Amino acid sequence: MRGKSVSLDSVSMRFGDFTAVQPTTLTIQAGEFFSILGPSGCGKTTLLRMISGFMTPTGGTIRIGDADVTALGPNRRPTALIFQNLALFPLMPVWENVAFGLEVRGVSKRQRREKAEELLALVALDGQGDKLPTALSGGQRQRVAIARALAVEPAVLLLDEPLSALDLKLRQHMRTELKEIQRKTGVTFLYITHDQGEALTMSDRVAVMRSGIVEQVGRGDDIYDNPATSFVASFVGESNRLSGTVEAISGGQASIATRFGTLQARCGAGLTAGEKAIVFIRPERTRLQDTPDGSGFALRGTFLRRDLEGPFVNLFFDCQGLPVTVHVTNDSRHASDSAAERWLCIAPEDALALPAGALARDE
Amino acid sequence: MNAVYRSYGPLLGTIILLGVAVWTLAMIIGPQVFMVEQSLWRLEQPDSAVTAGMRIEELNNALSLAQYDLGTLDGATEPDKVAEREKLARSVSEMEQELSTLQGQDTAPVKVYTIGNYTEMSGYHAEIFVKTIGASLLVTLIAFAVCYPVAYAAAKLAKPQRAALILLGLVIPYAINELLRVFAWLMILDYQGVANSVLLWLGLPEPIRFLDSGIGVFVAMVYAYVLFMVFPIYNTIETLDSNQIEAARDLGASTWKIHTRVVLPHAKPGIAVGSIMTFMLSAGSFSVPHIMTRGTAQPWFSQLIYSKFYDSFYWNQGAAYAFTLLLVCVAFIIIMMKVFKVGIRDIAK
Amino acid sequence: MSSTASSSSSASRVVLSVYMALFFGYLFLPLILMVAAGFNSYSPPSVTQWQGFSLRWFSELAADERILQGIVNSVIVATGVIAVSLPLGLSGALLLSRLDARTGSLLYGVLVSPVLTPGIILGISTLIFWRQVDVGGGLGLTVMAQSTFIAAYCMLMFMARLQRQDTSLEEAALDLGATHLQVFRRITLPFLRPAMLSAAVIAFLQSIENYNTTVFSIGASHTLVTEIGSRMRFGLTPVVNIIGLLFVVTTVVVAVLYVLLRQRERARTPAG
Repeated sequence: MRGKSVSLDSVSMRFGDFTAVQPTTLTIQAGEFFSILGPSGCGKTTLLRMISGFMTPTGGTIRIGDADVTALGPNRRPTALIFQNLALFPLMPVWENVAFGLEVRGVSKRQRREKAEELLALVALDGQGDKLPTALSGGQRQRVAIARALAVEPAVLLLDEPLSALDLKLRQHMRTELKEIQRKTGVTFLYITHDQGEALTMSDRVAVMRSGIVEQVGRGDDIYDNPATSFVASFVGESNRLSGTVEAISGGQASIATRFGTLQARCGAGLTAGEKAIVFIRPERTRLQDTPDGSGFALRGTFLRRDLEGPFVNLFFDCQGLPVTVHVTNDSRHASDSAAERWLCIAPEDALALPAGALARDE
Repeated sequence: MNAVYRSYGPLLGTIILLGVAVWTLAMIIGPQVFMVEQSLWRLEQPDSAVTAGMRIEELNNALSLAQYDLGTLDGATEPDKVAEREKLARSVSEMEQELSTLQGQDTAPVKVYTIGNYTEMSGYHAEIFVKTIGASLLVTLIAFAVCYPVAYAAAKLAKPQRAALILLGLVIPYAINELLRVFAWLMILDYQGVANSVLLWLGLPEPIRFLDSGIGVFVAMVYAYVLFMVFPIYNTIETLDSNQIEAARDLGASTWKIHTRVVLPHAKPGIAVGSIMTFMLSAGSFSVPHIMTRGTAQPWFSQLIYSKFYDSFYWNQGAAYAFTLLLVCVAFIIIMMKVFKVGIRDIAK
Repeated sequence: MSSTASSSSSASRVVLSVYMALFFGYLFLPLILMVAAGFNSYSPPSVTQWQGFSLRWFSELAADERILQGIVNSVIVATGVIAVSLPLGLSGALLLSRLDARTGSLLYGVLVSPVLTPGIILGISTLIFWRQVDVGGGLGLTVMAQSTFIAAYCMLMFMARLQRQDTSLEEAALDLGATHLQVFRRITLPFLRPAMLSAAVIAFLQSIENYNTTVFSIGASHTLVTEIGSRMRFGLTPVVNIIGLLFVVTTVVVAVLYVLLRQRERARTPAG
């Protein structure tokens, strides 16, 4: 099996007056694990359905490898889709499910059976071929769906939030497994999800979408550390936010005037002096001090409450009406930390200023 | 259309579209259109044909007379009689010629478009029409009154197993053909039937003629179509959350109030469907009056239609009567849909 | 307060129970009388003039050529109705499942309208329509007339089943490279099988039972039911009652078979 690249050239989709996907140009490398991350309704599923062939784009071209597939139906593309609900055929035993793509290609029954067993072994379901899908557990059904998709030797495997129906433990386990299967087979994986954890852990690269627009494409670290827009910054990970006005920009640093005073931050893309800006500070990079340490900007906060997450603890403060969260590792030092007044210190390299724009809605 | 081809491909898509096209055009719309067309014309003798017909009759009479005279002169040798015979023979041949040209003329009746088939309903037929509609409305109303408590009991009061038993009990009589079900009532209400036997035994002086008065039709019709009223109402009441009834009772509502304010409003779509089905079946019923009147009571409108087709072979007026009946049913459906505020999708489930 | 409420509700329960008993008496009494008359040697059928228990009407039925021919004709018509109604009903259901709401509602209205049309009108309009091409009354015409509305019943059953179908199954099959025909044969048809069975049974029963439509379209031929209908006025013997008895038995047998088949089907088809 060999993965192929997927190239979108100004691909767009309109439904009447509503534009679900704005003209999008994007290349997914052959053999890459690529995720499209975005909230529901951002157009990621539409994009996936255009690549799989269930929808014809209203503009642009889609190429898989060197071939233009824009006008081809789903049964004539070298892609295989794993549906959100898996869509296993309930009337067929597991092995027939897996071999369905071979059956419709006229492969003999003996060969189908062999291939099915081979693939079931790949997904660690040896000897389960004669069961009905309903007799399997959630995680096993998941793997049947993957084996079924791999049976047609697709160049690109499309996954539509396939883990969303699983419980947390299984979901985390399946992440590793999916990544492993992708590595073994070398097939290009295009993964659609609204779960940033899934996108960041598995993917080589991630695209973040909002309202039909791809806002940023990059490696997970890039997306997390250097979000390109205020939406990406607010959607991926948590952040404390301070709004203000850009006073000056120099040497990759911006001075932002806020109601708490002027603050130094890294200068994000598209920032201009005099414009409104939002400064994003990750809760785990907001340091807690008894006195301002003088290295940067500090806010005086009143302790509100503490949430235990397990490995770390969320501490909530109020800074004159501004809510601020601090993540600290659960090393028992902060376990009972409830002093009324603390200083929250922000180093310039931990703060990122971006032009004020749309934010992800809290869900 | 595109969605159809996209989902089913060219071959299946075409088969599906063809199938639906045949069904709608050749089985639903086409027949109705031709029935209406049939109702809008009739065959009439053209005026020329009428005068020609009279002349032919005249000629035939004169001809037979002349031929008789000719016969009496046969074999005569007197010169005046010979001359008379020749004259007669000439006029006979003239008459025969005229007759053959007249008979050669096209006297076939011609097709004339008219609304006469509708407007010329006799007073007697109009009376039967109105009585049929009125009686069907009454049947519908009675069927509702009879069925509502049963539907409510089956849906809300009975335990699941008992409810299943009630439903089974409702279905079993329908395993028997409609004709036979109605026939059973004939045996009961006949002059010498079970009902009269019981009444006589109870001391009634003489048997009652149930059938002649039309009561028989009524009883059997309610009986025949009860199921079509019970099931739609049962289905809707069953979807009513029992907590609503409890809540109403808890708030102090009387049984009457609970039904008029909670259950009945919820059951509206079912009542509409049940009423439509019952009315339609009653107004168009042929079997029940066919059996229960036995020619003694006034016929039902559907029987008039049948006799137009198969006794007097006057299809045009038969079609007009049938279409009139259809219009009444359509009007009833529309009124019920408006009054009960239900859509076409709620009907026919 | 609570005691009065409960006493009034128990009183209404008694009233309702009595009512239900009366109602079921109304439903069943005629049937019992009809079956009983079938075993009375007196003719025409009666239970008041009892002349002794007899099985003679069974043998008379077996020797009744017209009735036997009627049964054969009824089965021929019913088979024809199944052959016409199932494909049409399926086409309608498949088409409607892909149409947008407005076109769909209009077509749906047209297709189910025969269910809401008096049966005699279906018979008459079919008779008139086919006479345009010189096809007269008979078994073939009866198949057409009955299918007009029975196909709609089939369609409703298919629609109910299709509504529960997960469309992603068809998409998954397409995505794995199946052609539309393969998807239909391997995914859609197997899914519809239980509905096909129900539709065939309902179509068969509806066709056998039908009188109002058939009486107009049957012409000089006859089915079992039109034969009974014509005997209702003249020459009625308890043979008719025996037929009624057989109707009950047949229906119960068909119903039991149907339930058994459905159970087997369900055993093969796990839920979900």
